[in-house]
Amino acid sequence: MLHVKVIEIKKRKIDVQKAIQYVSSPYFGAIILFTGTVRNENNKKKVKGVSYDSHDKLVIKSIKEIYSDSTKKLNIKKKAIFVEHAKGYLKLGEKSIVIAVGCKHRGEAYKLSRFFIEQIKKRTPVWKKEHYIGSNSSWLKGVSIKK
Amino acid sequence: MKITLELYGASRQFSKKSFLEFNLKKKSSIKELRKEIINYIDKSFKGNSSYKRIIKASAFCSEKDIFLNENYKIIRSQKISIIPPIGGG
Repeated sequence: MLHVKVIEIKKRKIDVQKAIQYVSSPYFGAIILFTGTVRNENNKKKVKGVSYDSHDKLVIKSIKEIYSDSTKKLNIKKKAIFVEHAKGYLKLGEKSIVIAVGCKHRGEAYKLSRFFIEQIKKRTPVWKKEHYIGSNSSWLKGVSIKK
Repeated sequence: MKITLELYGASRQFSKKSFLEFNLKKKSSIKELRKEIINYIDKSFKGNSSYKRIIKASAFCSEKDIFLNENYKIIRSQKISIIPPIGGG
Protein backbone atom coordinates (compact mmCIF):
# COMPACT_ATOMS: atom_id res chain seq x y z
CA MET A 1 0.00 0.00 0.00
CA LEU A 2 1.58 3.25 -1.14
CA HIS A 3 0.60 6.90 -1.06
CA VAL A 4 2.84 9.34 -2.96
CA LYS A 5 2.29 13.00 -3.74
CA VAL A 6 4.18 16.20 -4.55
CA ILE A 7 2.83 19.03 -2.39
CA GLU A 8 2.70 22.59 -3.72
CA ILE A 9 3.71 24.35 -0.53
CA LYS A 10 1.70 27.47 -1.47
CA LYS A 11 -1.45 25.35 -1.31
CA ARG A 12 -0.78 23.31 1.82
CA LYS A 13 1.95 22.10 4.19
CA ILE A 14 3.09 18.50 4.67
CA ASP A 15 0.72 16.83 7.11
CA VAL A 16 2.50 14.42 9.47
CA GLN A 17 -0.72 13.31 11.18
CA LYS A 18 -2.18 12.28 7.83
CA ALA A 19 0.97 10.21 7.20
CA ILE A 20 0.73 8.39 10.54
CA GLN A 21 -2.97 7.77 10.01
CA TYR A 22 -2.31 6.25 6.57
CA VAL A 23 0.19 3.66 7.87
CA SER A 24 -1.70 2.81 11.05
CA SER A 25 -3.32 -0.61 10.99
CA PRO A 26 -3.95 -3.53 13.37
CA TYR A 27 -1.60 -5.54 11.07
CA PHE A 28 1.37 -3.31 11.87
CA GLY A 29 3.21 -3.33 15.19
CA ALA A 30 5.81 -0.77 14.08
CA ILE A 31 5.51 2.67 12.55
CA ILE A 32 8.55 4.76 11.64
CA LEU A 33 8.15 8.41 10.75
CA PHE A 34 10.92 10.27 8.94
CA THR A 35 10.73 13.97 8.15
CA GLY A 36 13.28 16.13 6.38
CA THR A 37 13.36 19.76 7.52
CA VAL A 38 15.13 22.89 6.33
CA ARG A 39 18.16 23.54 8.53
CA ASN A 40 19.98 26.80 9.14
CA GLU A 41 23.45 25.95 7.84
CA ASN A 42 25.11 24.15 4.93
CA ASN A 43 28.79 24.18 3.89
CA LYS A 44 29.43 26.93 6.47
CA LYS A 45 26.81 29.18 4.88
CA LYS A 46 23.86 30.51 6.86
CA VAL A 47 20.69 29.31 5.22
CA LYS A 48 17.39 31.19 5.56
CA GLY A 49 15.27 28.97 3.30
CA VAL A 50 15.25 26.43 0.49
CA SER A 51 13.31 26.35 -2.79
CA TYR A 52 12.39 22.88 -3.99
CA ASP A 53 11.81 22.14 -7.65
CA SER A 54 10.55 18.82 -8.98
CA HIS A 55 9.55 16.94 -12.10
CA ASP A 56 6.27 15.81 -10.58
CA LYS A 57 5.43 12.93 -12.91
CA LEU A 58 8.94 11.48 -12.63
CA VAL A 59 8.84 11.84 -8.84
CA ILE A 60 5.68 9.73 -8.69
CA LYS A 61 7.12 7.22 -11.15
CA SER A 62 10.44 6.87 -9.31
CA ILE A 63 8.79 6.41 -5.90
CA LYS A 64 6.49 3.72 -7.32
CA GLU A 65 9.63 2.00 -8.66
CA ILE A 66 11.33 2.31 -5.26
CA TYR A 67 8.24 0.72 -3.67
CA SER A 68 8.40 -2.15 -6.13
CA ASP A 69 12.18 -2.57 -5.55
CA SER A 70 11.65 -2.59 -1.79
CA THR A 71 9.32 -5.57 -2.20
CA LYS A 72 11.93 -7.45 -4.22
CA LYS A 73 15.09 -6.45 -2.34
CA LEU A 74 13.90 -6.32 1.27
CA ASN A 75 11.29 -9.04 0.93
CA ILE A 76 8.79 -7.14 3.09
CA LYS A 77 5.43 -8.03 1.65
CA LYS A 78 2.97 -6.54 4.12
CA LYS A 79 3.67 -2.82 4.42
CA ALA A 80 2.17 0.65 4.12
CA ILE A 81 4.17 3.64 2.95
CA PHE A 82 3.23 7.30 2.80
CA VAL A 83 5.57 9.68 0.96
CA GLU A 84 4.99 13.37 0.32
CA HIS A 85 7.64 15.80 -0.96
CA ALA A 86 7.27 19.56 -0.87
CA LYS A 87 7.67 21.84 -3.88
CA GLY A 88 8.22 25.61 -3.55
CA TYR A 89 9.89 27.87 -0.99
CA LEU A 90 10.32 26.53 2.56
CA LYS A 91 11.48 28.51 5.57
CA LEU A 92 13.78 27.18 8.32
CA GLY A 93 12.26 24.27 10.20
CA GLU A 94 9.56 23.58 7.62
CA LYS A 95 9.17 20.02 6.40
CA SER A 96 10.40 19.14 2.94
CA ILE A 97 9.56 15.42 3.01
CA VAL A 98 7.65 12.94 5.09
CA ILE A 99 8.10 9.18 4.85
CA ALA A 100 5.90 7.10 7.13
CA VAL A 101 6.15 3.32 7.05
CA GLY A 102 4.06 0.67 8.73
CA CYS A 103 5.31 -2.93 9.07
CA LYS A 104 4.68 -5.95 11.28
CA HIS A 105 7.98 -5.57 13.21
CA ARG A 106 10.41 -2.75 14.03
CA GLY A 107 13.40 -4.31 12.22
CA GLU A 108 11.72 -4.27 8.84
CA ALA A 109 10.14 -0.85 9.48
CA TYR A 110 13.57 0.72 10.15
CA LYS A 111 15.05 -1.00 7.07
CA LEU A 112 12.19 0.13 4.84
CA SER A 113 12.27 3.74 6.04
CA ARG A 114 16.04 3.97 5.47
CA PHE A 115 15.76 2.26 2.07
CA PHE A 116 13.17 4.80 0.92
CA ILE A 117 15.03 7.97 1.88
CA GLU A 118 18.36 6.71 0.51
CA GLN A 119 16.78 5.67 -2.80
CA ILE A 120 14.86 8.95 -3.11
CA LYS A 121 18.15 10.83 -2.69
CA LYS A 122 19.68 8.81 -5.55
CA ARG A 123 16.75 8.43 -7.94
CA THR A 124 13.97 10.98 -7.47
CA PRO A 125 14.09 14.18 -9.57
CA VAL A 126 13.88 16.89 -6.93
CA TRP A 127 16.24 19.86 -6.72
CA LYS A 128 17.16 22.29 -3.95
CA LYS A 129 18.08 25.94 -4.25
CA GLU A 130 19.42 27.31 -0.98
CA HIS A 131 18.81 30.92 -0.02
CA TYR A 132 21.43 32.44 2.27
CA ILE A 133 21.33 35.30 4.75
CA GLY A 134 22.22 38.32 2.62
CA SER A 135 20.79 38.05 -0.84
CA ASN A 136 22.55 35.25 -2.68
CA SER A 137 21.30 31.77 -3.39
CA SER A 138 22.57 28.68 -5.16
CA TRP A 139 21.37 25.39 -6.60
CA LEU A 140 22.96 22.45 -4.81
CA LYS A 141 25.32 20.24 -6.81
CA GLY A 142 23.33 17.01 -6.57
CA VAL A 143 23.83 13.50 -7.91
CA SER A 144 23.83 12.78 -11.64
CA ILE A 145 21.27 10.21 -12.82
CA LYS A 146 22.65 10.18 -16.37
CA LYS A 147 22.96 6.55 -17.53
CA MET B 1 12.12 19.67 -36.10
CA LYS B 2 11.42 21.78 -32.99
CA ILE B 3 12.52 20.53 -29.59
CA THR B 4 11.12 22.27 -26.54
CA LEU B 5 13.55 21.65 -23.73
CA GLU B 6 11.79 21.86 -20.37
CA LEU B 7 14.11 23.17 -17.65
CA TYR B 8 14.35 21.87 -14.10
CA GLY B 9 16.58 22.51 -11.09
CA ALA B 10 19.93 24.15 -11.84
CA SER B 11 19.13 24.28 -15.58
CA ARG B 12 16.50 26.94 -14.83
CA GLN B 13 19.45 29.35 -14.78
CA PHE B 14 19.71 28.93 -18.57
CA SER B 15 16.63 31.05 -19.27
CA LYS B 16 14.09 33.36 -17.65
CA LYS B 17 11.43 31.11 -19.19
CA SER B 18 10.84 27.54 -18.06
CA PHE B 19 11.95 26.14 -21.42
CA LEU B 20 14.33 26.57 -24.35
CA GLU B 21 13.64 25.84 -28.00
CA PHE B 22 16.02 24.23 -30.47
CA ASN B 23 15.68 23.46 -34.15
CA LEU B 24 17.31 20.13 -34.84
CA LYS B 25 17.59 17.92 -37.92
CA LYS B 26 15.22 14.95 -37.99
CA LYS B 27 16.72 11.86 -36.31
CA SER B 28 19.12 13.92 -34.19
CA SER B 29 20.39 12.03 -31.16
CA ILE B 30 20.37 13.07 -27.51
CA LYS B 31 24.13 13.49 -27.87
CA GLU B 32 23.49 16.09 -30.61
CA LEU B 33 20.83 17.82 -28.52
CA ARG B 34 23.34 18.04 -25.66
CA LYS B 35 25.86 19.66 -28.06
CA GLU B 36 23.23 22.19 -29.18
CA ILE B 37 22.55 23.18 -25.57
CA ILE B 38 26.27 23.62 -24.96
CA ASN B 39 26.47 25.81 -28.11
CA TYR B 40 23.62 27.90 -26.71
CA ILE B 41 25.55 28.34 -23.43
CA ASP B 42 28.64 29.37 -25.43
CA LYS B 43 26.62 32.03 -27.25
CA SER B 44 24.36 33.26 -24.47
CA PHE B 45 26.51 32.86 -21.35
CA LYS B 46 30.07 33.23 -22.70
CA GLY B 47 30.66 29.51 -22.29
CA ASN B 48 29.86 29.51 -18.55
CA SER B 49 31.79 26.43 -17.40
CA SER B 50 29.51 25.67 -14.47
CA TYR B 51 26.46 25.60 -16.78
CA LYS B 52 28.32 23.33 -19.20
CA ARG B 53 29.15 20.93 -16.35
CA ILE B 54 25.44 20.78 -15.50
CA ILE B 55 24.58 19.90 -19.12
CA LYS B 56 27.25 17.20 -19.31
CA ALA B 57 25.95 15.60 -16.11
CA SER B 58 22.27 15.80 -17.07
CA ALA B 59 19.89 13.06 -18.13
CA PHE B 60 17.06 13.62 -20.63
CA CYS B 61 13.51 12.41 -20.45
CA SER B 62 10.68 12.12 -22.98
CA GLU B 63 7.08 13.40 -22.76
CA LYS B 64 6.18 9.84 -21.75
CA ASP B 65 8.57 10.07 -18.77
CA ILE B 66 11.09 7.66 -20.22
CA PHE B 67 14.81 8.31 -19.81
CA LEU B 68 16.52 8.62 -23.19
CA ASN B 69 20.01 7.28 -23.76
CA GLU B 70 22.77 9.14 -25.58
CA ASN B 71 22.12 7.41 -28.94
CA TYR B 72 18.33 7.75 -28.88
CA LYS B 73 17.11 9.28 -32.18
CA ILE B 74 14.50 12.01 -31.94
CA ILE B 75 12.15 11.60 -34.92
CA ARG B 76 9.55 14.33 -34.39
CA SER B 77 9.03 17.72 -32.79
CA GLN B 78 8.42 17.20 -29.09
CA LYS B 79 9.04 18.28 -25.51
CA ILE B 80 12.09 16.85 -23.77
CA SER B 81 12.99 17.47 -20.13
CA ILE B 82 16.53 18.08 -18.99
CA ILE B 83 17.20 16.37 -15.65
CA PRO B 84 20.24 17.95 -13.96
CA PRO B 85 21.91 16.19 -11.00
CA ILE B 86 19.24 15.67 -8.33
CA GLY B 87 19.21 16.29 -4.59
CA GLY B 88 15.88 16.20 -2.83
CA GLY B 89 14.82 15.01 0.59
